[in-house]
Amino acid sequence: METFSPVSPQQKFNRKLAWLILLVIIAISLAVVMIPAMLIMPFKPQTPRAVELSYWLKSWSPIVTVLALIASLALAIWLWIGKRSWWRRSVLVLSMIPVLAATWFARQNHFEWMFNPLGQTAFAKISEAGFVGDKGMVMAVTINGESVAYPVRQMGYHHVVHDTVGGVPIVATY
Amino acid sequence: MWESKVDDKPLTFHLSGINNQNFIMRDEETGSWWQQVTGEAIQGPMKGRRLNAVFCDELTFATWKREHPEGRVLKPDEKVAAKYEAENWEEEYANFPVVTPTDAADQLKPRTLIVGVELNGASKAYPLESLQQQQLILDELGGVPLFVLIGEDRKSVRAFERRLDGRTLEFFVVTEGEKQQPPSGGNRQLIDAETGSIWDFSGRCQHGQLAGKQLKPIPVLKDYWFDWKIYHPKTAIYLLGERLKQ
Repeated sequence: METFSPVSPQQKFNRKLAWLILLVIIAISLAVVMIPAMLIMPFKPQTPRAVELSYWLKSWSPIVTVLALIASLALAIWLWIGKRSWWRRSVLVLSMIPVLAATWFARQNHFEWMFNPLGQTAFAKISEAGFVGDKGMVMAVTINGESVAYPVRQMGYHHVVHDTVGGVPIVATY
Repeated sequence: MWESKVDDKPLTFHLSGINNQNFIMRDEETGSWWQQVTGEAIQGPMKGRRLNAVFCDELTFATWKREHPEGRVLKPDEKVAAKYEAENWEEEYANFPVVTPTDAADQLKPRTLIVGVELNGASKAYPLESLQQQQLILDELGGVPLFVLIGEDRKSVRAFERRLDGRTLEFFVVTEGEKQQPPSGGNRQLIDAETGSIWDFSGRCQHGQLAGKQLKPIPVLKDYWFDWKIYHPKTAIYLLGERLKQ
């Protein structure tokens, strides 16, 4: 049985405000991770402005999402204590999901989900390189007498490969 | 292909975005964003800096291993090898959409494969198809006499300065059946008109008066026309090949 406790208009207003702030925080944490992901999507044109905004948002999103998480947790706890109804409490718990997801996503590189970076670079002698056909294209470098071939089929997937050739640290990109 | 050190500081790059169908890489150390095709930092603390280019050839494996029998070859990553593109990826990519603005009055279609050369601030695009038809293109760019040559494999492309010890050379190719000189392997020969010496695909003179001489290689980039044009808006186009086709 719930006992009747009078709620002042001021308390009611505070609660409403807290819910509103919670909603805004959720929206911000989603926006900082989703806007750059949408702006720099493959097969879409990008403007220099969009790239700049994406860079800015991506630089700030790890810290912004953590602050959003802390703030929304604090608000949720405060609202939890104040409200006893189970469905409002469920909404509070559910509202944490997007903020948690955004905090996690801000720490991911989703381009590397699509194109796994080469974990360990390993090389073969020509006599052992049965994995590339004679007509297969390679990117070739020779530095200080050392020659290396990077088959385009592998490069077109990993895109970025670090190596040291003839004593010079290089990054092969395709 | 780039040197990964900037100001003696080694950088570790990751694929981290895409800008008009050319990828962006981010370095772990400064968090800057770099455009893959230009090697220029476009955002972040390194903005405006450029990576030093490393001379790189795009060749068939057969051509490369003949020239570098001692070389090493990057192994596939067995865990993801199933996700690599099929051998015929170039044909598939030719049908991919182009999303950047294109010019209807353009003399080439956006997905035309070109060989791009940039020299002393001047740039020019040679359609791959023209090279496949003509094999050898003599030209001058940025005040430098040069030639662009396709390999006997019809896929590898190289360019060289055709200036040697202050003299500009004219070159031509002779294919099987027409040649008068002893063959130097393969069934095509690259000959300079001034001395009749025979040159190989690596720009080295194998026979004749100039034997042992090496021509200076010029970097080339095989690229799609739409992409080349974004980064070289004032580029010229080699169109003789296009006219020969008609």
